This record gives sequence, structure tokens and C-alpha cells, in this order.
Amino acid sequence: MHTAVVDLGYGDAGKGAVVARLCQERTVTAVVRFNGGPQAAHNVVTADGRHHTFAQFGAGTLHGTPTHLSRFMCVDPLALAAEADHLRALGVPAPYALLTVDRDARLVTPYHAAANRLRERARGADRHGSCGMGVGETAAYALAHPDDAPTAGDCASRPRLLRKLRLLRDRLTDDLGPLAAPPVEDCAAAFGAFADAVALTDETHLRRLVRGGPLVFEGAQGVLLDEWHGFHPHTTWSTTTFAHADTLLAEAGAPGPARRIGVVRTYTVRHGPGPHVTEEPELAAALPEPHNGHGRWQGAFRVGHFDAVAHAYAVEVCGGVDALALTHLDAPPRCPALRICHGYAIGGQLVERLPVGAPGDLDRQAALTRRLLGAHPAVWSTPDHWPTAVGALLGAPVVMESHGPARQVLTGATVG
Amino acid sequence: MGSGSWSTNVYDAAERYRSASGASAFAYSDRVKHTSPRSGWTAHPSLDPHGLTTRESRDSAEHPTSLAISVLFDVTGSMGSVPRVLQTKLPELFGLLLRKGYTEHPQILFGGVGDATCDRVPLQLGQFESDNRMDEQLGNILLEGGGGGQMTESYELALYAMARHTSLDCHEKRGRRGYLFLIGDEMPYGKVKAREIRGVLGDRVQRDIPLPEILAELRRKFHVFYILPTGAAHAGNTEVLTLWRRLLGQNVIELDDLDAVCETIALTVGLGEEAIDLAEGLADLAEVGSTAGPSVARALSTLAR
Repeated sequence: MHTAVVDLGYGDAGKGAVVARLCQERTVTAVVRFNGGPQAAHNVVTADGRHHTFAQFGAGTLHGTPTHLSRFMCVDPLALAAEADHLRALGVPAPYALLTVDRDARLVTPYHAAANRLRERARGADRHGSCGMGVGETAAYALAHPDDAPTAGDCASRPRLLRKLRLLRDRLTDDLGPLAAPPVEDCAAAFGAFADAVALTDETHLRRLVRGGPLVFEGAQGVLLDEWHGFHPHTTWSTTTFAHADTLLAEAGAPGPARRIGVVRTYTVRHGPGPHVTEEPELAAALPEPHNGHGRWQGAFRVGHFDAVAHAYAVEVCGGVDALALTHLDAPPRCPALRICHGYAIGGQLVERLPVGAPGDLDRQAALTRRLLGAHPAVWSTPDHWPTAVGALLGAPVVMESHGPARQVLTGATVG
Repeated sequence: MGSGSWSTNVYDAAERYRSASGASAFAYSDRVKHTSPRSGWTAHPSLDPHGLTTRESRDSAEHPTSLAISVLFDVTGSMGSVPRVLQTKLPELFGLLLRKGYTEHPQILFGGVGDATCDRVPLQLGQFESDNRMDEQLGNILLEGGGGGQMTESYELALYAMARHTSLDCHEKRGRRGYLFLIGDEMPYGKVKAREIRGVLGDRVQRDIPLPEILAELRRKFHVFYILPTGAAHAGNTEVLTLWRRLLGQNVIELDDLDAVCETIALTVGLGEEAIDLAEGLADLAEVGSTAGPSVARALSTLAR
């Protein structure tokens, strides 16, 4: 059976460790990435102490599991080259041989990144919390100019790539002024080398993979950042629910839905601005974050108590989960002050459940964001047994527990 | 939101891809083909069969029970991607053979086969190696390209060289045959021509040798397999298949996914050494994350019976 893994928070819950653990346990044919792009940062620490921040390679790579970047991905060949080099240094002899890329995947270019930074800087104090890598810009350009947006497949044709890159650079320059980015010819050379190094595939590839054995769909970011269901405008240009994984499986003719695993930490974190109702700055000192720092473009890494209201909302907007992975279980013993928040006070009223709207209504989402920015935690509990409490609040069993960066324990016989 | 920490410098990336790309893995081929006219192309000295004495697969203190495995592939147009696939998957082939215990001390020789009637470099043969020097040899192979049209390549010349110019400890000391895989999509000529033996290898041979005769000699030393990738130009061509089947019987392997060639070779050796049955081999492939299972299963179903 195929498995899909998403983060039920704002990202950084530990999808990387969960996916890596699944790839270690099972005869997984491949990891399929179905949203986001190079801004993902899935940290995996192996039992022998090797650490890698997976961005475009799947988190099963250190176990030799191949990765497929689906058409829903935004691919950055420049960042990919740096990541591949690091994987090679960790003992993966031929990382590119473990990677296939759908030709229709959108390309993230230095022009998108430069435009992204110019726009974010122009927002001043109202920053969205972008990573400054141009992923949102890539999605926006592809929506506005679907036929001209460069794709991974274009990298194999220098003339076509040059035409699309020039058009892209010229349009963005018209909008924003000069972009701090290298010449188009130099980009085309690097992108051409990317096309030579990785296998570019068409839609038949996923059909073959699906027949070949169980796949793990590795989500990026978190459901609370979803473009339609997140707290607008502090969201990402990406569908972060299971929707794209479901679409890909259906297109590939896979029988039955995937097992849906939602990942949450024992405490709730958010990297960058936007609502974070249970934020508690004092926790940050007790729960240092080895792999997440203050991002130049993103802003601070913000730590808070377990936000059951927000996570239950995430479960609801993604149509339910079959199972949960609960990470950072080493935190409650180290930090006995950690609690679970079950209800908010908003304008003198108790709110225990956030209403879910139809996708696409950003005004409604913006109104929800304004309410959340005025919300305060009102109902608390301190659980005796975290997995039981979290499972009960989110309506699914905890089948994987993770204690610290390199220790993940499967607890449910249903995974495997 | 996540925070990708990988450098996005365009100049670094270009260099990184260059240093990791298939193109630089075949540096000799790329250099020769870009710097000299076709008439000036020659095999790399380490692979040139002219004056060939013996390619040896020997036991050593480190490798007391060597097993010779030869992989010879068509280097002409339609099959040019085979060596590149082999190069990227070499670690997997070796890993499967060793880690799964199919054989303890494989020694692998790579070679290239072209057409002696029209190619500049019709035959290239490396040495049997048990470490990453194999990788170097692969990098020295000239991928001649061109070819095509006549549906024949000089496989018979390669078979002659392997029959008369190899010496295998697995065979001589322990009576176990090595493995020889030919990967291609065309037919051999019906006899090994004395003129070509003299020209390519420099052996003083006076008479042509009929193909069945040299094959019989070769099969005393090697289990000989022919792998026909069905994505190749003459894939499924009944004439090609029929001829090879007549020569090699069930040892003709039709493979529908060229990317699965390393896995196919590993499992064929595993089956031949009776280290596994097909189901175990396929489970091993799944365990190491290979997606080649279904193709390998189809390709080897006749061998496994």
C-alpha cells in the first residue's frame, strides 16, 4: 500500500525523519515529491550520525531509495547540484542516478529568486515570510504565463530554454526593474548540464513506479500554510494537503487510496510571520533548534505549546488522516512546562474549533487570520501520555513516535 | 516554512554538474571525438586489443576465489546509452553481487564491440578488475557511435578474443566457468575472418573460423549470455532473436528496460551461482530500492525455470 506523509502544522514537524524511517522499514520503491520545491528542509539524522537537510532529494536517499519529482514540484537545478554534492560527501555514490524528474515540473530560476527578494523587500514590515528562493514567484509566473513558464523538460533544449528564460527575465525586469541575476546564457548552460545528469520522464514513469511496489509520497511544508486553507496571506503558493498525492495516484491508475499519515510535533513551531496562537518565547530557550535558525528572508523560528485547535483544523481541511506520527517526544520530559491548548479566547468567546471554508475564498481566510491574530490560549491540559492524548484530540492513532533526531519508533502494526 | 540551505550559485552548479555528469565519465570518448576526425579515432591504449596477450582473472590473497564476469556491449549508434547506464549503476551491480552474497570475489571486465568492416575501433577490451578501476576502464571506452543499417556487428571477433586471449583462475583452478554478457541489438557475422583477426588483434591466423566453432571454445570457459534490450533499434527483430537463440538457446535475454541491465546481470550471476532463486533475487532488488524488478522478472523468467 502506498503512503502519503504531510505535516499538520506550519512545517518543520519532522516529515523527513518519518519518510526516512518508512524507507528503512519497508521495501519502498521510490519517494515521490508532490508539492513545494527547493525551499523544503527535511532534516534527517541517521543512526550513524550523518545529517542531511533534504530539499529536493527525497528523505529516503540515504537508504538508497530513489526519488521522483512529480509535475507538481518546482525544481531548482542550481540548489539541486549543491544538495547532490553534499549527498555524495555522505556516501551516496551517484545521487543523480537516484533521481527522476517529470518534464512538466516548473523550473525555479535565479530570475524568479531575484524578483521574489525585490517584492518581499518592498513589503517592508508586512513580509509574508517567504524563503527568498523564488518558489512563489515561479508558481505565480506559471499561472500568468502557462505556456512560457520554463519546465524541467525545457532544459534538454537549449534554444527553447534560452527563449523562455529571456522572456521571463524581460517580463520580470519590466515589472520590477533590474534583477540581480546571472546572464541567461550562463543559466542555460547550468540547466543543460542538469538535463544531462538527471533522467527526465513523462507521465508513464509514475505509472511504472506505482506498479513496481509501495511508494511514499513526501509532502513539503505544512497544511497550515496551504495556499487555500492556510492563514492568508502568510501561506505558500502550494497545495500542502494530500490533494496532489491523490491526483498523481489517480493519474497513475493506482488501486485504492494511500494511507495518510499526518505528522505533528509535541510542540508547535512556525518559521516566519503569521498567526501562532500558542507561541511562548520562553520555550525557545528550553527547546533549542539545531537545524532551524533565524532565516534572512523568513524571519524568526517561533516555538509554542501544542496547538490542538490549529492541528485539528489541519486534519479537517485535508479530509482526515489514517494515522499520526508524533515527533520530538524527548521534549516533554526535558521541558515539563509543555502543555496542550484545546481552546482559544477570541473577543471574549471560547473557540474550540476553527470553521473550514471552501477552497479559493481568500477573503474569508484573511478574516480568519485577523481573528487568530487576536486569539489567546484559554483551555490547557498537561497529558499523562502524549501519544494517547494527541491521538484522541486529532482522531487518529499515533503509529510512529520519534524521540530525538535519530530515534524513530514504529508503534502501530498498521505501518509496515 | 522550510529553509532550503543549498547554494543556488549558477557557476558552482554548472561546475558541479560537469564534474558529476556522464559526459566527464567518458572523458576519453568525448575528447577523441571532439578533437580528431573520425579517421583518426583509436582505442585508448588500456583497451586496445592489438597485440593482446592475455586478459587474466586471477585469485589473490585478498580475493582467493575470483569469479570472472565480462560485459561486452555494442558501442555503435543505437546502443550508445548502455555504457552510460552501466557507469551510473556500477555501484549497484557490485553492491548486489557482494552484499547479497551472490559471489564473493567478482572480477569484472568491460569491452566494446563495433563493426570490423566499417568502424575505426571495432573491438575494445579492458582488464578483469575487482575494484573501482573498472570505473576508469569504462571511462576509457570510446563510444564510436555511427553504425546501423546492416544489422550486423563483429561480435564474433569479440568472442574470438575472449576465447583465445583470456585466462581464468575460476576455470583453471576450480573448474567453474565465468560469465560473459553481450549486450546488443544486432547479429554476429557467420565466421571470424582471419584478415580481421590479423588487422585488429595482430594474431597470425591463416583460416577463417566458423562462428559455432569459436563459440564452442568460448563456452568451455564462460557461461555466455546475449542481452537484447527491446528498446533498441532492432528490438524484437525476429531474425536477430532467432539467430542468437539458435546459437545460445535459453541464454538469450530480452530486456524491456535498458536501465535494468545491471540488475539483470547481477541476478543472472546469482541464479547461475545458485545463490538465489528468481523470487529471492527480486526481493533483493526491492530491498535495495531498485525499480527494475518487473523488467528483470520478465527478462529472466525463462532462465529461472
